[in-house]
Amino acid sequence: MIKLISSKTILYVILVLSSIFFLTPFIYTLFNSFKTDKEIFQVPQSFFPEIFVLDNYRGILEGHFIQYFMNSVIITVVGVVMVAFLSSLAGYAFARLPFRGRDLLMIALLLVITLPLAIFLIPIYLMEFKMDILNSKLGLILPNIAAGLPFAIFIMRAGFVSIPKEMEESAEMDGCGIFQTWWRIMLPMAKNGLIIVVIHAFYTIWGEYTFAKTLATDQDAMPLTVGLTLFKGEAWALGTLASVIVLSMLPPILIFIFFQKHIVEGIAAGSVKG
Amino acid sequence: MDNEYALKIKSKPRKSLQDRKKIYAILFILPAFIFIFSFMIYPIVYTLFMSFQEFNFVYDDAAKFIGLDNYVKAFNDTNFLVAMKNTFTYGIIYFILIMIVSLSFALILFNTRRFSGLFKTVIFIPIVVPVSLSALVFMWILQPNYGLLNHFLGDILGLTQLTYPWLNHGTTAMAAIIVVSLWATIGFETILFLGGLQSISGEVLEAAEMDGASGWRKIVFIILPNLRETYIITGIWAIIHALKVFVEPMVMTNGGPGNSTLVMYQEIYYTAFVNFDMGYAAAMAYILGIFTLVLSITNFYINRTKDE
Repeated sequence: MIKLISSKTILYVILVLSSIFFLTPFIYTLFNSFKTDKEIFQVPQSFFPEIFVLDNYRGILEGHFIQYFMNSVIITVVGVVMVAFLSSLAGYAFARLPFRGRDLLMIALLLVITLPLAIFLIPIYLMEFKMDILNSKLGLILPNIAAGLPFAIFIMRAGFVSIPKEMEESAEMDGCGIFQTWWRIMLPMAKNGLIIVVIHAFYTIWGEYTFAKTLATDQDAMPLTVGLTLFKGEAWALGTLASVIVLSMLPPILIFIFFQKHIVEGIAAGSVKG
Repeated sequence: MDNEYALKIKSKPRKSLQDRKKIYAILFILPAFIFIFSFMIYPIVYTLFMSFQEFNFVYDDAAKFIGLDNYVKAFNDTNFLVAMKNTFTYGIIYFILIMIVSLSFALILFNTRRFSGLFKTVIFIPIVVPVSLSALVFMWILQPNYGLLNHFLGDILGLTQLTYPWLNHGTTAMAAIIVVSLWATIGFETILFLGGLQSISGEVLEAAEMDGASGWRKIVFIILPNLRETYIITGIWAIIHALKVFVEPMVMTNGGPGNSTLVMYQEIYYTAFVNFDMGYAAAMAYILGIFTLVLSITNFYINRTKDE
């Protein structure tokens, strides 16, 4: 009995220590965002802010931060809507509308997921150069949609497969067209999968770095993930940088806290071989 | 006779529905595949094609076919070889650590009831946070003068001899990059391992307990061998993730000091988008892609053949 208790205690000690490791970066940034610049550079420094100030958050209004933020918001919102819409169409076809070459397409999707983005970047860059959409929001939205689709299609396909066939057949009996059946009957029943797709696409596109780094080299076109890294060398902006990092991390963290179940489910489901 | 006739009537409209479904299948798939084709499948082919050419985007008007020269050049290029060595150093250490640590977390969370929901939230949260921003925060923590780690070691623990300019030396900079990658991805792999643990049937575990297996013996002889399918998934994911490491060294060290943390992905990036040597970069990208595929497939077969 004593042995049992002590071994449980060790497990909890490990969990508490690891929690400190996982949470420290968040708390450190949050506290720094309320410190004066003088306190940030003070040696020896303090973990807790001695005086709480909101100046750093006011400082956000100056400089490029608002621009980065708006770019991230627009790219993410359009990207998420498109990924959700296109994957729920394609996922339905993969699940319920037999067509030739379906298995081949599935294999192509798996291959695409496995390969590193580096293989796609050069042609995408040259293509966008020709179309004159480098350094534009559209130029980042399009590849983000494409990169998000394979995983989203797998999730939506699994969602539609799990709906009993009778639902569809009865809708067909009632004279519903195929498009109507999809929109009115099937899509509402695949809601759970759709939520997973939306959340996953949201935090993936919000945090996307590689496309942004290569396709948006003008400061005005950069999203947060790339724009903020330009400030790493400029010591004067550290307090403001901390406050912007806090605001940039907040949306995905809030969504995680509300939808943890769906995120965990999505990761577990996405790993099951299609 | 009657029956056959009835069947014919019945099957006729059904067939036309089948036909309509085929047309709709194309309509449903097409929009998504226009994206996937133009931004993924076409680029795979185009990059392969380009890897056999000499083409500098800034200087050259037209591409010149040079066969396998780019590939030969890559394996004689000191920078690329260093990048390859660094990627594998990073990859091997990252792979071993993430598999062990995530599996351990999953086992711990699987065997604790109280507060386990809270601990899960804490371990999983880094998954959703942009990696480039996490890397910035860790840079700050590791800053030698006003960073948290040296403050903690020197001022709080009084171990001033341990304070160090972490990112200014090759070995510790590489270690820092690995730590940030682990911080960002442990939650993801832990979720996969937890899924694997949950799928081990209760009967197997009960039978093991009946035979008197408990504690470590149960873990080593019953649980770990039963996770083979999970090792395939977590292993492939870790391999892919390790080889495509890019954001952390890009933000935290820029490949330095010297080129001690330069990875393959970065070398591809610099060659393609700083030097605009597109053909050569395409060949390097293909080498990286082939490594990824070969190692993923190897992992799959190692864990599968043992099964039968």
